[in-house]
Amino acid sequence: MIAAIGLVLGIVAGLFLEPTVPTWLQPYLPIAVVAALDAVFGGLRALLDGIFDDRVFVVSFVANVLVAALIVYLGDQLGVGSQLSTGVVVVLGIRIFSNAAAIRRHLFSA
Amino acid sequence: MVLLTNLVEDSLDEGYARAAARRAEGEPPSRHGRLLLTVGLVAVGLLLATAAAQTRDRASVTAEARSALAAEIEDRSAANDRLERSLDRARSAVARDRRAALRITSEGARLERELTALEAATGAGAVTGPGMVIRLEDASGDGSGADVDPRTEGDTEGRVSDRDLQTVVNEVWAAGAEAVAVNGQRLTAMSAIRAAGEAILVDFRPVNPPYVVRAVGPESMRTRFVQGFGGSYLQVLRDYGIDYAVEDDENLRLPASGGLAVRHATAPTAVPSGAATGETTAPDDRTTTR
Repeated sequence: MIAAIGLVLGIVAGLFLEPTVPTWLQPYLPIAVVAALDAVFGGLRALLDGIFDDRVFVVSFVANVLVAALIVYLGDQLGVGSQLSTGVVVVLGIRIFSNAAAIRRHLFSA
Repeated sequence: MVLLTNLVEDSLDEGYARAAARRAEGEPPSRHGRLLLTVGLVAVGLLLATAAAQTRDRASVTAEARSALAAEIEDRSAANDRLERSLDRARSAVARDRRAALRITSEGARLERELTALEAATGAGAVTGPGMVIRLEDASGDGSGADVDPRTEGDTEGRVSDRDLQTVVNEVWAAGAEAVAVNGQRLTAMSAIRAAGEAILVDFRPVNPPYVVRAVGPESMRTRFVQGFGGSYLQVLRDYGIDYAVEDDENLRLPASGGLAVRHATAPTAVPSGAATGETTAPDDRTTTR
C-alpha cells in the first residue's frame, strides 16, 4: 500500500515539478526508463511469487538504471552508442516481456 | 542461443530467490525495508514522469522549430514573388521605352519587329494567340491531390510523373507549338522539367496538379498532337487512371519567362551592321536575349 502511494507520489511530483534534466543526461533518460521498468516488473513478479524483498528491489532498480546508462555512455564514447542502446533495449525488453508473462500467469492463471 | 535461453528463463533477478533463502534460514528482514521501498518507488515514479514530460517538451520544441521554418519558407517565397513581379514591371517598362526609342528611325522599327519575334520565340516576351490547352490530372483515390504533401512516398501509379510531362511537352513542341507554358511557367530552350522527390519542378519551381500545358501554335497543331505520339501517350496515361483533356483556346496569353539570363555570352562592344543581323537570328537564346 505504502509502495503504491510512493509510486503515485513520485509520478505526481515529476509531472508537477517538471524537473529540468541537464542536457548531458538527456540521452540516458529513455534507457533509464526501460531499466526502471525492468526492475518494476521484476519486483511485481517477485511479489506475486511471494519472494519480494524491499532491499533487492531498490538495489536492482538503482543498479539497473546506472548500468544501463553506463553502457550507453561507454557506447557513446566508443562510437557505437546507438548499437549498444539497441542491445540494452533488446535484453531488457525480453526480460520485461517474460516477467510480464509470468505476472499474467499469476493473475489470470493462463 | 544459450544467451537467449538464459535471458528468458532467468528473467527474474536472482537476488529475490537469495533473499527468500536467507529469510528461510531465519535472517531478520531489514529494518528500513518499507522506507527504502517507498523511496525507491518515488524515484521510479519521478523517473517515469520526468521522461514523459521530457518527451512531451521535445515534441513541442520540434513542432515549433518546424512551424518556424515553414513560416520562413512562406515569407521568402512571398518575397520572391514580389521581386519577380517588380522584375516583370521593370522589364515591361524597359521594353516599352526601347520600343519607343527604336520607332524613331525606320532601321529601328525593323529591328523592333525582329526583336519582338525573337522574344516570342525565346520566351523572353509574353505572347498571345490561338492554341490548345492540355489538362492532366492525377488519378483520383491514390492519395494524391492538393491536400496531400507531394513529397511523401506513396502509390505513384496513377500520378503524373515528370517523364509524362516531359513527353507531353516535347510532343507539343513537335506538333508545331511556338510557345509553351506549364502551369503558367513559360518554357524556353533552357527549361527543365524535373522531379524532386514526388514533386515536379518546372525551371526549379514546384508545380501542383492539375498540370495545365498551354501552347500557342498553328491550327494544325492540335490535330498533329492528338494523332501523333502525344495522343497515344495520353491514351496510355488514361489506362493508369490519369485524366486528361485537350481543348482549343482562341485567345491564349502566355507570360514571359523569368528565368532567362545570359551566362556566357557578352555583347561585342562595336557591332558591324552585317554581323549584327546574323547574330540576332541565331536560334540559341543565350546569345540573343538581353
